[in-house]
Amino acid sequence: MASKVPEKALNLIRNYPRVALNGLKPIENDYRYKSKPRRSRMKATQSGRGNKGQGQRMTLPRIGFEGGNTPFYLRIPKEPYYRGHHLRREYPPFSLLQLQRMIDLNRVNIDEPIDLNSIVNTNIIKINPGDQEFGINLTDEGADIFQSKVCIEVQWASEATIAAIERNGGMITTRYYNTECLEAICDTLGFFARGIPIPRCPLPPRDAFEYYTNPDSRGYLADPELVKKSRFKLAQKYGYEPPNYDTENDSELFKMKDPRQIFFGLNPGWIVSMKDKAIIKPKDPDYVEYYES
Amino acid sequence: MMVLTNTLCVLPKQLRLGNILRFISTCSKKLNDGSYMATERPPLPIMTSRKIEFPNPYIAPKQAWLENLDTVNSEKLGIVDLHPDIFGVAPRIDMLHRNVKWQQLYKYINYDWEPTRAEVRGGGRKMWPQKKTGRHRAGSNRAPQWRGGGKAMAERGPYSKYYMLSEADRINGLCIALSVKYAQNDLHIVDSLEIPTDESEYLEELIDTRYWGFSALFVDDTDIMPENIALAASDIGQFNLMPVYGLNVYSILKHNTLVLTLAAVDKIEKKLLERLHSPFLHSSKKGKRPS
Repeated sequence: MASKVPEKALNLIRNYPRVALNGLKPIENDYRYKSKPRRSRMKATQSGRGNKGQGQRMTLPRIGFEGGNTPFYLRIPKEPYYRGHHLRREYPPFSLLQLQRMIDLNRVNIDEPIDLNSIVNTNIIKINPGDQEFGINLTDEGADIFQSKVCIEVQWASEATIAAIERNGGMITTRYYNTECLEAICDTLGFFARGIPIPRCPLPPRDAFEYYTNPDSRGYLADPELVKKSRFKLAQKYGYEPPNYDTENDSELFKMKDPRQIFFGLNPGWIVSMKDKAIIKPKDPDYVEYYES
Repeated sequence: MMVLTNTLCVLPKQLRLGNILRFISTCSKKLNDGSYMATERPPLPIMTSRKIEFPNPYIAPKQAWLENLDTVNSEKLGIVDLHPDIFGVAPRIDMLHRNVKWQQLYKYINYDWEPTRAEVRGGGRKMWPQKKTGRHRAGSNRAPQWRGGGKAMAERGPYSKYYMLSEADRINGLCIALSVKYAQNDLHIVDSLEIPTDESEYLEELIDTRYWGFSALFVDDTDIMPENIALAASDIGQFNLMPVYGLNVYSILKHNTLVLTLAAVDKIEKKLLERLHSPFLHSSKKGKRPS
C-alpha cells in the first residue's frame, strides 16, 4: 500500500505561507561536525588516555569495585522504607498554635467555617498540589492554649487535635481532595480564569478510604451517629463537656459541604466568570446528572 | 480528446498534444475598445483526461486545470492528470534547502584574501637581541601579533566552493518543488504561451486578474519562445521565460507562480520518470550511467 504521509503533508502546507527561498531550512544537525575521538593537543599520540595500563586498554574494573573489598553497595543493606515515597500523599503540618495566631491576628474569620481555601487565602500557608501535597495536617502543637470555637475542615488530624477543637465547642472534619480540586482551591482566581467547570470531587482512594470513613478521625464520609458517639467517648477520655452543635445561633457556623463540593456556595459543574461577574450553570440533563452528588 | 477526433484526422500524426492545442488556438484580435476577443476554439472542454506514462498503481493521479493565456480572464479548457510521483511527493523542505544551497554554492568563488607574514612588506630584521634586553623575544615585526603584521590562518582566495549534489537529491528536489507549487495552488498549466499582443501591460493585467502573485516563471518545452510573450516579458523583471532544460529548484521557488505549458509537462514528466526509474540513480559509484 502506498503511504498516506505525502498526501497528509501536502494537505498541511496547502494553506500555509508560500514555500519560497526565505522559508527554507535544513533538517536539524544536517550540517553538524562529526564527533572526533579525543585527541591530544598537538597530535593523536595518547588521546588523553594517559600512559599504558587499564585506562589506555579500556580494562578498568567495574563501577563500585573496591579492589577486592566487599563494595559499599553490597556491604550496606537496602533501606526499603522510602519505596514509593514519590507517590505517597503528603500533608504539610499546620499547628493549632499557628491557627490560634491567625485567628488572633484576624487572618481568618471564625464566624464562618474554615476550610483549606480560607487557610490558603491567608498566604501564610502554601500548598503545592503538584508536589503530591494533599492538604494540611493540623498538628496538636499549642493544643493546651487553643481557645477558639471554630468549625474547621482539614485533611488530616490527630486525636489530640480533635480533642482540643471539640473542648472549645468547635467542630472538626477531615476531608479528602484530589489534586485537580486542590489546584482549584489553592489558586482560585487562576482556576476561574481557565473557564472550566468546577470539578466534582471524587471519593478518596483505597488506601485513604478507611481514614475518611472512620468516625474517630472525624472523616467526612463517616456515619454521623457513630461520630456523635465518638465525640462523647473522646470527651470522656480527655475530661471535658462534649460539644453541642444544636444551638440556634450557631446554625450558620456549623454547616457542612457536600462530599462532592469543593467551594462553599458553588456547586460542581458551575463555571465562574470573573470578567463578566457571572456564574454559568449547566442545564443539559446529562451534565446535571453527572455533577450531582 | 473525443472532441478532437475530427481534427486529428486532418493533422499529421507526428504532432504532439501541446502542438495540437497550439495549432487550434489562433491569435486573438484586439477590439476597438481595447479588450481582446477570445480565440475561436472548439466547444469546451477540449481535454477531460490525459494519459500518464508509467502510472503509479497505488496513488491516484493529481489533477489540474488546463488554462489559456490568450485572454485576460482564465478559461478552463479542460482538466489534465499529473503523475503523483512528480506532482505529489512529500514536501521535504530540507531537501529544497539542500538544492538551493548547492545551487548558490557551486558557482560561488571566494575572493577573500589577506597577506600572511611572509607577504607583508618588511620584517626581515630582528628587532632587538634575543637576550639581556628584558624585553620579549622578537624576530620580526610582521608576526601576527604585531600591529601591521601578517594574518595568521588567512583567507587564501580565490577558491571555488564547487561541489556536486547527488543526482538522487537533484531529481528529488525538482519533484518536491513541483509538488509544493501544485499543493499551494501556484502551479498553472496552459495550452501554450501565445498571447495576442506584445505589450507588457497585457501580461501584467493577466497576472493581476488571475491573482498569480508578483512574479511568474513561464516554462515551455523549447527554447524558442513565442514572440509576443518574449517581448512582453522582457520589459518586466519578475516575469521570466525558461525552457524545460533550464528548470531548477531555485527558480521555481524564487517565482511566486509557475506556469507550465502542456508540452513542458509532458517533457518534465518523461525526463524525471526516466531518471527516477533509472537503475543508476542511487548507485553512482558502482555503475557508469549511459549518456
